[in-house]
Amino acid sequence: MEILLQLVYSGIALGMIYAVIAFGYQLTFATSDTLNFGQGEALMLGALVALTLVDRLGMNYWLAIPLVGAFGLVQGVLVERIGVSPAIKIKSEFGWIMSTIALGIIFKNVAENIWGRDDMRFPSPLPEAPIKLLGANVLPMELLVIAGAVLMMLAVEFFNRKTIYGKAVVATFNDRDAAKLMGINTGLVITFSYALSSLTAGFAGMLIAPLTLTGATMGAVLGLKAFAVAIIGGLNSGMGIIVGGIILGVAETTTGFYLSTGYKDVSGLVLLLLVLAVKPAGLFGKSAIKKV
Amino acid sequence: MQRRTHLTILASLMLSAGFAFAADTIKIGVSGPFTGGSSSMGVSMRDGVRLATEEINKAGGVLGKKLELVERDDEAKNERGVQIAQELINKEQVVANMGYINTGVALASQRFYQEAKIPVFNNVATGSAITQQFKAPEYPDNYIFRNAANDSIQAPMIVEEAIGRRGFKKVAILADSTNYGQLGKADLEKALEANGVKAVAVEKFNIKDVDMTPQLLKAKEAGAEVILTYAIGPELAQIANGMTKLGWKVPMIGSWTLSMANFIDNAGPGGEGARMPQTFIQEPNTVKRKAFIDAYLKTFKPKNNRMDSPVSAAQGYDSVYLLVAAIKQAGSTDGVKIREALENLDAKVEGVVTTYDKPYTHDDHEAITKNIPVFGEVKGAKVVYAYEEDRLKGSDIRTKVKAKPAAAPAAGAKDKPKDKADKN
Repeated sequence: MEILLQLVYSGIALGMIYAVIAFGYQLTFATSDTLNFGQGEALMLGALVALTLVDRLGMNYWLAIPLVGAFGLVQGVLVERIGVSPAIKIKSEFGWIMSTIALGIIFKNVAENIWGRDDMRFPSPLPEAPIKLLGANVLPMELLVIAGAVLMMLAVEFFNRKTIYGKAVVATFNDRDAAKLMGINTGLVITFSYALSSLTAGFAGMLIAPLTLTGATMGAVLGLKAFAVAIIGGLNSGMGIIVGGIILGVAETTTGFYLSTGYKDVSGLVLLLLVLAVKPAGLFGKSAIKKV
Repeated sequence: MQRRTHLTILASLMLSAGFAFAADTIKIGVSGPFTGGSSSMGVSMRDGVRLATEEINKAGGVLGKKLELVERDDEAKNERGVQIAQELINKEQVVANMGYINTGVALASQRFYQEAKIPVFNNVATGSAITQQFKAPEYPDNYIFRNAANDSIQAPMIVEEAIGRRGFKKVAILADSTNYGQLGKADLEKALEANGVKAVAVEKFNIKDVDMTPQLLKAKEAGAEVILTYAIGPELAQIANGMTKLGWKVPMIGSWTLSMANFIDNAGPGGEGARMPQTFIQEPNTVKRKAFIDAYLKTFKPKNNRMDSPVSAAQGYDSVYLLVAAIKQAGSTDGVKIREALENLDAKVEGVVTTYDKPYTHDDHEAITKNIPVFGEVKGAKVVYAYEEDRLKGSDIRTKVKAKPAAAPAAGAKDKPKDKADKN
């Protein structure tokens, strides 16, 4: 029992790492039907910028958060302006896929040249000794990641439902042309959503860096797993991301223990295929009827 | 940057010399991962090579010519290694190649040197197969040499340390899913079997995995008293961190990569006490070693005066001296002649790892035998001697034990089969 509990704890912590990254996918999808496939790289840049601020410049971890967020905003705007808006303008269905991947690779190479390709330790802002919780161990940092993920979910849901800007975002998603006619600057909304998406990615990078290691290649695997979470949970549900993350994380740790560590990643991906077959919009996604 | 200056120098050389490639230097290739997860080994090896080259050039070079290094980053990728091998052989026309850190890259790339009859010094890669790839019956001559403790030496050492010396009964093996990890795992299982022990858990993980909970819980549930590892720095650190998280601490004993800086730094306090076989420990206990360590620290200024991978640096350094001794003896830079000289080296080469006295023969291309490595331990974020008696005797040079071709141990060679050598 204690074992299962420990596996579930670790699975949830792992799942929340994926979930905080997955939010970024959701934000851009919510406005423009496009995804930033360089999300993992945005995360990595956030973590490395944070590392520079905290480790090199001796800044306080908490005070560095807004700076990393600001960096994320700028980076997101850059991605949207260079990679996505040209594709949207000519109504290209697939142009943005390649251009966001390309930008991701460019960011990775730039990071390799600035920070090197080695994995570095990110000093933990919280004590590193585990806490005993109902008989199994968790790290304080893992609790912070969970709190961060829930907070992000709430913020996104609140923004979309309660604020006028959020309504503009939802309107842009529902019908871009109609929204435009209603006086919403859809181009700006999309740019804004990319900026927000990279901001969350940067923040996510900062949150998880003390748990993973920090380096130019940290984004690739995590970005992909987060994408799986976004698909499982549904690309337009904040709740879905959290649940999807927990499902994937727990699936990974439990198969690792009960089946074989060699098949650890397989279970989550089988799950992904199942979800796609049964409920293509994701467990919590609303399937929208697309009119052509 | 470095590469570009090399290239411009080369380009201007070619322009001025036209077609006649006036070889007024002896070119030596240096290939290894200078970036990425295994870069602490690659960079340290390169720096060791640079240091030796500089010393030799200062003393007038060899055969009246200076040595020139042609350095290339293989990024630990097999395909890069292959490209670089072809470039170094055909375009740069190197007389020998220093390097290969990664077993996979070595196995993929060194065939080009074998075909071109140019010697390769594997001064870090440890896969047992490396020197066997072109061995005697099928290939008349083997151009692949090694100056590192291979896995079939390390695995029994690790097992002997865990079971024989420290008396653990239940062991778990954690290895990564690369060639290095899985071949090493097989070597460990073989060595355990020879001791009549079966691992209670054998677990696997991928490069870049961030959570080791299932693997560690399995080992814990199986009652493991010690964890044997075969992986590289970052993931090894995740194992140590995972143990801290679970509040379960058993000793880690593993292949020599536990001495990598990126393990020690990323694992922090969790990495303390990890033990691994080492051919060289950063401890100035002989005149030669002191000079080497001082010069290294002065030239490359590593963080906290700690060499990132002392073993790689020392083996890289010694390899250059071995090569130069062979070139001297051959009186030529011809690959065939260098190989012949290496296989029958008259001069004793005093290195920092050991004193090389006939390190190679035609059929034996391993310079390091199982009596040479000692156990190192991570202590205070540094690798030190694990055993006091090894430290005290650290200045006694352990030299290669000559194998079956009983050519009578050369006079003067101090054969010191130490405590470990008498086992199996």
